[in-house]
Amino acid sequence: MKFGTRWPPVPAGILIGISMLLTFIVAGRGIGASGAMTRFVAWVQHGLFPEATEQSAYFGHYFADGAHPLNDYLVFLVVGLLIGSFVAAWLSGELRVEVLRGPRSSIVYRLALGLTGGVLAGFAARLARGCTSGQALVGGAELSLGSWVFMMCIFAGGWMAAWFVRKQWI
Amino acid sequence: MDMIAPLVKTGVISPELNLWLAVPIGFVFGFALFHAGFTDSRRIAWAFYFKDVGVPVVMFSAIVTGMLGLWGLSLVGFLDISEVYLLPTFLLPMAVGGILFGLGMVIGGYCPGTAIASIATGKIDAVIFIVGFLLGSLVFGDLFPVWGDFYNSDYMGVVRLDQTLGIELGTAVFGIIVIAVAGSLGMRWVQQKFWPTTDTDPQRGAILKLQGGLIAAALVIGFALAFFPTESFIDDNPEPPYYIIPKTASSQ
Repeated sequence: MKFGTRWPPVPAGILIGISMLLTFIVAGRGIGASGAMTRFVAWVQHGLFPEATEQSAYFGHYFADGAHPLNDYLVFLVVGLLIGSFVAAWLSGELRVEVLRGPRSSIVYRLALGLTGGVLAGFAARLARGCTSGQALVGGAELSLGSWVFMMCIFAGGWMAAWFVRKQWI
Repeated sequence: MDMIAPLVKTGVISPELNLWLAVPIGFVFGFALFHAGFTDSRRIAWAFYFKDVGVPVVMFSAIVTGMLGLWGLSLVGFLDISEVYLLPTFLLPMAVGGILFGLGMVIGGYCPGTAIASIATGKIDAVIFIVGFLLGSLVFGDLFPVWGDFYNSDYMGVVRLDQTLGIELGTAVFGIIVIAVAGSLGMRWVQQKFWPTTDTDPQRGAILKLQGGLIAAALVIGFALAFFPTESFIDDNPEPPYYIIPKTASSQ
């Protein structure tokens, strides 16, 4: 059989699982995406307010002993992620500048909710010490109790809000 | 016994090479996210309406693959699990974080990994989502003293499902696979019930056979693991390593 642009879910998930397994085998840790985002904002803020950022209770340790916040495993991983997704879309002829949304949603409505959801998810990922990849998938594979609770709560939260934003999607 | 992995911990590769190897591994991750259809916010959000349950099925498949690999390689003596960073549990912050994260996902249509992958394919809504995500992370970090106590509360150490349930690790692994398969089939059934599709994929038979074969293989491996006692996978360490950020700034 021949795979098209969109693979069936099981082989696609297995390839994501293999990337996670590779980080276990090579680095002794898991994949992750939100950690690089945190380091990025710390780096930007450090450019504007170096002292305050170095003394920050949360961001400070990224700069301990003169360290550069972007010199980190997760940042390198995210660079590879960007390239991998770009190449896959390019090979599939699916590189397109667009705003994806449901048929009843305007672009402004979609972008406003996109921003809102981003703020919520950004805050939540810090509170939970990780996101879907770094906490749910990795901790899921490690059988971590907190990760499984996190994952169940993601679906619970999503279902709670789904009705209210249905116009955006369906 | 001498174990080979994790490669950077056993000295097979240098920390510098480990860092650079993160790029090709990330490449595989991003490549897979695209082909999973995760660079489409609609598809991710549709999971919450049972319109497209591909997202949880992909997640289950990824977890099962990583789980079988991690514990299977530990069992055969290839991977030293004591050198793998196992995620600690802070139960309540993670539950609250999960709820907020789920709200963010259905409202925003992405999670961070999928949004970054989508930016690379040209999705403007993903760019906006990441702008919000960075803002949310910034607010969390800058106002950390406000919720630092909560963030560090309810700490339970590195605690696994099998310990919580009082069962063997191998049994938990096999149970998760069974639940993942049953859950995936159940959600697929609900999707067909509420969002019946009429289009027929000419490869439907081949896809069914492929996915069925992969699922059967996972069930067989998981079933085999269930025969081994917990100690053959991991020595339960009473004092697992963990990392807590102090609430107030230290004198750096």
